[in-house]
Amino acid sequence: MTCDEVTRAIPLYHYGELASEVEEGVEDHVESCASCRAELAYQKALAAALDRHDLAPPPELLTECRHELVRAVYREETPAARRNASDPWGLFRDAFRSLWHPGIRFGQPIGAMALVALGFFAARFTGSFPGATLGGLAPDAIVSSIRSVQPDNTGRVQISLDETRRRVVSGRLEDQDIRRLLLAAAREQDNPGVRVESVQLLTDQSSSAETRSVLLEAVMRDPNPGVRLKALQGLKSFSTDPEVHRTLTQVLLKDQNAGVRMQVIDLLIAHQDAATAGVLQALIGKEDNSYVRMRCQNALRDMNASVGTF
Amino acid sequence: MLQDAAGAANARAASKMDETAVIRAVQGGDQDAFERLVRAYDQSVLRLAINLLRSPEDARDVYQEAFLRVYRNIHTFRFDCSFHTWLYRIVTNICLDHLRKRKVRREEAAVIDTADGPVDRMDSFEEEGPDADPERQMWNNQLSGRIQAALAGLTPRERMVFELRHYQGMRLRAIGDVLGTSEEAAKNCLFRATQKMRTVLGDLI
Repeated sequence: MTCDEVTRAIPLYHYGELASEVEEGVEDHVESCASCRAELAYQKALAAALDRHDLAPPPELLTECRHELVRAVYREETPAARRNASDPWGLFRDAFRSLWHPGIRFGQPIGAMALVALGFFAARFTGSFPGATLGGLAPDAIVSSIRSVQPDNTGRVQISLDETRRRVVSGRLEDQDIRRLLLAAAREQDNPGVRVESVQLLTDQSSSAETRSVLLEAVMRDPNPGVRLKALQGLKSFSTDPEVHRTLTQVLLKDQNAGVRMQVIDLLIAHQDAATAGVLQALIGKEDNSYVRMRCQNALRDMNASVGTF
Repeated sequence: MLQDAAGAANARAASKMDETAVIRAVQGGDQDAFERLVRAYDQSVLRLAINLLRSPEDARDVYQEAFLRVYRNIHTFRFDCSFHTWLYRIVTNICLDHLRKRKVRREEAAVIDTADGPVDRMDSFEEEGPDADPERQMWNNQLSGRIQAALAGLTPRERMVFELRHYQGMRLRAIGDVLGTSEEAAKNCLFRATQKMRTVLGDLI
């Protein structure tokens, strides 16, 4: 094979899309041709760079999509069926008739079908139960799991479920209850989005010792660097407070995120003292990030402190 | 080794039989089976949509529309091709429509200008690693921007073929089946896409 032919074949060779005899031809040529070997290496590097650009959908988006799909499937039912809420099973019977095309087999007993529907809508997708008035189930209930299903011989069924209810509350940031909820939301383990929003709102209220304590906890322990950075913003005006200063020093020496360490340096050097210089000198000795090291060196120079420890 | 290969082939055959049974159950009106079918494919469908369109809103629309079409039309599925191919035909058609519409109203960039400078809306999807290095991050941002530009320079079809081959690992023959074209045409598409990307990314790799 000529260099030109091999160069053209390299992308397909990389993806394993060449016939075996052509593949062997490429391999033989590349072994003896440095320029084509470099071409192949470039193709591999390109693929590796593109791999890093791959986006995995976040689990929250997948969950939202599944919930929306449940709702969309439910909306496929006819308005007449939706109005038929006085008969709980009627809701499902009518929904099912319109959900499936006439050609599809529909021979199962109604009770069994309704059970499947309930499982689909309420349990498996763990979505909100859309507008149901079934057996005292609240319209805004969220069914988190179905514990047991017991049919009897009269065609009725008893279902034991865990139900939670979503409430929307609103109020001003100064409201005691709102603040209490925000403080709790800042510790919401499963949702970094909620934590970041709450911490952002709390940053304007850091004069309260309770809020400051939540911000300090976030700076020290939150696994998400975005939340830690927001919490640091809230502590900006309190960097001379002994407790805040002590926490910032610990964070500077142990936080794994270079961005967080940079911000802590900015907060600490706002009030220059010998203790801060000592911490920065200690950090330089172990810091492996060139930007953070440079920031430390500049800060020490501004403080007229020596860059190294003696 | 041979036993491993035979085991894998048996597992594939068993899973195919299992899928056939699930699809037949969905066609028979089994909602539970529909949910199983959705869950078997929905992550890869969402991944394809999000990588192709680089917009969570559009990816969400594609997800909904695709699975609703499956829901409404599963009774027409006759097992002439694999369910994967059938589903991906639906998904790729919807994605191509989105990409074409976007071309008409100019590329809707994932990077938007804010008061704090340009921000990639997709960055919020990637949790920053604990060892993120500002220097490396700067280089990554530059590379990411260039890759974005390279992908934007592809035609919708080239982009689709590249996405399905590179990120979804589909063979070109299967891609041809999904897109209703020949393996050879898919091969040419992949070659053109790779060449265009090499031109744009050039010195950065």
